[in-house]
Amino acid sequence: MAKTKNKKGALSDRYHIKNEPKKLNSFEVHVNKEKLKVIGKKQKNDRGLPGISRARAIQKRKSTLLEEYKVQNKNNVFLDRRIGEKINMDSESKAIARFTALKMKSHSKRSIFNLADDTILTHKGQTLSEIEKFDDPKSDDDFSDDENQSGKLDTNFVGEAHFGGGILKNTGKEGAMTHKDLINQLIFESKKRKAEKQKAKEATLELTEKLDLDWKDLIPLVTKDGKNEEIRKPKVDDYDKIMRELKFEKRGTVSDRLKTEEEIAKEEMESLEILEQERIKRMNKQDTEDTSKLKHRSADDLDDDFIYDYDNDDEENMLSYNKEGEPNLQIQANVNGTVVKSTVNALAEEVQDEEENQETYKDVSSEEELETDSEDNLSDLKISDNESEEENCNIIEEIPVENDTPIRTPKQASLKIETVNNNKESSEKEIEHVEIPFTFKLPDTYKGLLNILEKYDGHQHLVIERMIKCNHPSLSEQNKDKLGLLFAYLLQYLNDLFSDDLQKDDLKKHFNIFQLLVPQIYSLAQLNNQNAHNSMLEVIKEKYEDYKKKHKTHPGLEVLIFFKLVSVLFPTSDFRHQVVTPCYTFMEMILTKCRVNNRKEISYGLFISSLILEYTALSKRYLPAVINYLSGLLHMMIPKIGVKLLKIPPPFKPTSTLLVLLNNYSLESFNSLKLNFADFSEEEITSEYQVRALYSVIKILQQFLEHYIILPSHVEIFEKATYFLEKIPLNNYPREVQNNANCLVEELRKSKIERRLQYLVLEASKPKALRLYEPKIQVVYDGKSHKSQSKEKAHINKLLHKVKREKKGALREIRRDNAFLGRFKIGKQLQSDKERKEKVKRIYSEAAMQQSELNEIDRKKKRKN
Amino acid sequence: MSQTEKPMKISKQLRLQGQGFLLSRNNSEMLMGIIQHFDCGADLHSCLLTLEMIFSTLLKDRNMYIEVIPLKPIEQTPENQYKDWLRNVYEECFTKIVHTMENASPKIQTQGLSTAMNLLSYEGKYPLESKGTFENYVPLSKLKSILIKMLSNKQNNVQLVNKYTEYLLFDDILFFTWKLLPSLTAKSNPNETYIMNYLALLEKLQVHQNNDTKILCSEGNGSFFTFDETVTIKSLNKIWHCVMHWEHTPLTHKKMLIVLLERVLTNLEKPLLLTDFLMDSLDVGGSISLLALQGIFTMIQVHNLDYPNIFTKLYSMFEPEIFHTKYKARLFYLSDLFMSSTHLPENLVAAFAKRMARLALIAPSEDIIIICNFIGNLILRHPGLKCLLNNSDRDTANTDPYIMEERDPVKSNAINSSLWEIKTLQSHVQPSVSSAAKFINTPLPSVEWDLSKVLDKTGDDMFDKEVKKFSKLIVLQFEKPNGASIGKGERLLQFWDF
Repeated sequence: MAKTKNKKGALSDRYHIKNEPKKLNSFEVHVNKEKLKVIGKKQKNDRGLPGISRARAIQKRKSTLLEEYKVQNKNNVFLDRRIGEKINMDSESKAIARFTALKMKSHSKRSIFNLADDTILTHKGQTLSEIEKFDDPKSDDDFSDDENQSGKLDTNFVGEAHFGGGILKNTGKEGAMTHKDLINQLIFESKKRKAEKQKAKEATLELTEKLDLDWKDLIPLVTKDGKNEEIRKPKVDDYDKIMRELKFEKRGTVSDRLKTEEEIAKEEMESLEILEQERIKRMNKQDTEDTSKLKHRSADDLDDDFIYDYDNDDEENMLSYNKEGEPNLQIQANVNGTVVKSTVNALAEEVQDEEENQETYKDVSSEEELETDSEDNLSDLKISDNESEEENCNIIEEIPVENDTPIRTPKQASLKIETVNNNKESSEKEIEHVEIPFTFKLPDTYKGLLNILEKYDGHQHLVIERMIKCNHPSLSEQNKDKLGLLFAYLLQYLNDLFSDDLQKDDLKKHFNIFQLLVPQIYSLAQLNNQNAHNSMLEVIKEKYEDYKKKHKTHPGLEVLIFFKLVSVLFPTSDFRHQVVTPCYTFMEMILTKCRVNNRKEISYGLFISSLILEYTALSKRYLPAVINYLSGLLHMMIPKIGVKLLKIPPPFKPTSTLLVLLNNYSLESFNSLKLNFADFSEEEITSEYQVRALYSVIKILQQFLEHYIILPSHVEIFEKATYFLEKIPLNNYPREVQNNANCLVEELRKSKIERRLQYLVLEASKPKALRLYEPKIQVVYDGKSHKSQSKEKAHINKLLHKVKREKKGALREIRRDNAFLGRFKIGKQLQSDKERKEKVKRIYSEAAMQQSELNEIDRKKKRKN
Repeated sequence: MSQTEKPMKISKQLRLQGQGFLLSRNNSEMLMGIIQHFDCGADLHSCLLTLEMIFSTLLKDRNMYIEVIPLKPIEQTPENQYKDWLRNVYEECFTKIVHTMENASPKIQTQGLSTAMNLLSYEGKYPLESKGTFENYVPLSKLKSILIKMLSNKQNNVQLVNKYTEYLLFDDILFFTWKLLPSLTAKSNPNETYIMNYLALLEKLQVHQNNDTKILCSEGNGSFFTFDETVTIKSLNKIWHCVMHWEHTPLTHKKMLIVLLERVLTNLEKPLLLTDFLMDSLDVGGSISLLALQGIFTMIQVHNLDYPNIFTKLYSMFEPEIFHTKYKARLFYLSDLFMSSTHLPENLVAAFAKRMARLALIAPSEDIIIICNFIGNLILRHPGLKCLLNNSDRDTANTDPYIMEERDPVKSNAINSSLWEIKTLQSHVQPSVSSAAKFINTPLPSVEWDLSKVLDKTGDDMFDKEVKKFSKLIVLQFEKPNGASIGKGERLLQFWDF
């Protein structure tokens, strides 16, 4: 290896001398051996010129490292920057070089635009820039005042002192001062003069300053008259005023033109149509979902039709969590502003229930085998079932038909109606008299509202309307909440209006109030729908809780009012609605459980029946309880003569004949066959009421038939009602009622004949898709182990690798630098040794010469001797 | 104030008197005073307490214990005379105490019972005379008198029986009650009250030993008797033989069936003897026949009874009235059990399905869900019933081929019908019902519906469930009301004049 090194060294030297040969000597080229040849790959390092690159490196070191080494341990360096001194030049060419350098400098980039840079203008020896400073000229003036500006000694003195004959000369004058005295005097005088001058200067300064001050005081006086006239503004011209106003007036932004009435109407219609479509969508929600949308399929679904056994109802409430980790499923209730949440508890309960269910499910298999009745406590049977017992008793005993209620003639009834009308008119008149302020504050308490409403009795709706207008949510943020509170108060107010046992007149009055209040409540609900929704639900819940305690007694009238309000405020046709659906359950419970013993209770049931008709008017959905109830009422109208009993499930009694009409009304005509509020306040059943009840039942049934005619089993639904209706002797009823009843019977018959029952056919199930499997990916082995690491880490590793390589290179460079310096040092050492040896040699030779000469002389001397 | 103070005073007085009597033997007139007060009928409660206090102390102190040495007459010492007198008074008082159990006030009744039982316990622990080798015994005659009072034929003693169950936790009382009962059972026809009391007591009696052994009449572990289950079972069989032959009113009939199913049936030696009785009960109707049905089911299951018309009977039980009875859930549960066999003829099962579907048309919402699941389960078990859901052979029909009035399910022609009722119920107002009825639209699942989940649901549960449902979507009516009337959907005002 050492050999090659030497070779290289020789080569480098040669290169240095030869100064780059044009054609490369093949011996100077070093070819890097390639282990694996890749076609088409460009190689940078396939060949190198070691000699050339070494020479280049040495050259570079010489210009950098060597220079540094030379100035090592030296603080200062003398640099000669004089032009033309370094090189030998004659003086003329030196001057030329300097001039050119100066010219060059003026042509440098910076001074190119300085046109008059070289000529500085002066005035009296001072540059203009200095003069233009405008310093205080005071000090300059001092000297001009004095005779001797220059501050030199005056001529007399100089003449005398300097040229007056010298120090040693005696003036000869009597009393003449000595030179020393003279000098002293001189010093004293000059000091005195200086002090005087200083004093005078200060005085003038003071005076000028005082003058300046005085002048400032005087300025207003001097300028007063003239300036005042200038300041006085010219009278503002009306024209200008208007012009300016117009100029600065706020400009209207460009906007659409106002809509015409037709357009507004059209838009409204369109929005209504959209709302209607949405409503229909909600109504048919479940239907479409089942058919069109696939249910959620688990990733583990094996296509085997296994359905996880969950309640269909629960599917909408899938448990999910929000960002904070709280379950989204919330049961929130707003009670007069306080929010009650019951998510976790409810959920926990549900979970518990489910667990229990699961447990029972598990146990089923074992239970079925071990099923011995000792585990079973038979609690349901131990409770003596009163109802059935009662029935049984009733079946056995025949209760004689009683109907000795006094019958009110229709005349009286009509009279009553008239008086009622009169009342209405008079109350209307009253309204005009009382003055109602236009603004109202929202009451903070329920009592406050009550006070206001009592104060303006008969105008409650106006009061509420104005309250809403004055406190519209767009006016203030808080109004929304406050109006929500007002909504709750109004519900409470309605509750109080109808909850007491009311007389007929009061009822009428209160219902009028309700009727007038409905639009206001509606608009309140629209303003804060969340609150309306929650408060209404809360009210229904509360009422239901009350009702739950006594299943068989009718809840108060206020519940009816709330039901009606629900149908006003909420869309009752929705497939599922948070307020409406519980109401359905509530009404169903009332219809199936509550007693039907008197006029009040029958009216209550009829009201609910008509309400259910109203609720289902759009959706045409079916509630068995209503039809059962109406059939039951029809049953009550049949005179029970035969031995065979007509069966009827509770709450009706198989022997009840409360509604059987005994008197003949066939020729009488009624003012109105509709039911009215009087029916809620009285218990006794009059014949007139019996007529009206039948009429209402028939009318309601007619509408129900219309609704349900689309249902395949409508015949079965109305079977019982038809049967009972045909049994009622219609002879006693007025003509109109008879006609209606016959009409209904006819319709029912017709529907029975016309019915076409389409056999049920299951939907053809979709063909099963082939099971798709995940593609199986095989890993290709390429001999390298690929680390799987993150991007950041890969980057860091890359950098570390680079650092390592650079460090290696740097070390190698340092090593080479050291070698270079070492070579340089040893060269220098060798050179100095050589010089020293030569010197020694020279000295030796000189000394030898000298010695030889001495020896020569000595020898000459010896010879002479 | 004086009125409230008075009874306080009397009870205090009585207690003082009792304590005075116990202090000294000379104060025997005090005891007589208390007994006199007791006889007059006032302040029975405090009198009972005082007597209990006196006699339990006397028993505890063995003041009435007369040592009997065999073959030796009892000495006529004044000591023994006194003791003899005391014992006579004690016996007298005990009969009086037992007599209070017939008092009108239930409070005094129960107090009488508890006093009697306490005295019984003390007597057992500290016997009046040594009997054989055992230290303790159960005073059977006293227990018998208590039981006789309890099984009175004059008044309903449910409260007493309930109180007595507390004592039945003691093994000795339970055992000896069993032992005594056959002798107390009326042989001829007793009246209804007696039967009710008797059955109430019987219902509480268990044949087996209590889990943790407790003895009332002994402080020790009760070595004086062993609980023999064969004896109790034997006496039960004996009793039941009598009970069966009594004449029953519907009320007692029901009660008897309950007791039979809960306690007796498993322990009877020859249960097949009950068959006739159960058959007769089945024809009574209502809850009695349902109970009989359950009994028959057990007989069929455990004792291989063969009863051909059982399904016709079951079929006839599905009437519109069932929804208003308390045993509705039981009926569904039982019929689910009956119909769990997959070997039933298809037209029979179809008749059941169809009948239930018809009933669903008039049922309350919660029951419709049960019925829907029930029918679903029936179809799952009997794939042949799929023709009720999927009948592509026929197109339309004028009337439903199913005959509702037919009593025999096999002849009702249900298999040729289709479940239109379920289709109708899909438009029920209740969303939960509607979704339950939707099962006929989709292919049936492979797992049956779990009926036990829905069986006990009531209307209240449905309400709660709907109220708890929370949806973010809040929808209001968009049509502005005109007065109380809502635009096109208004119906109420068509029938009502306001």
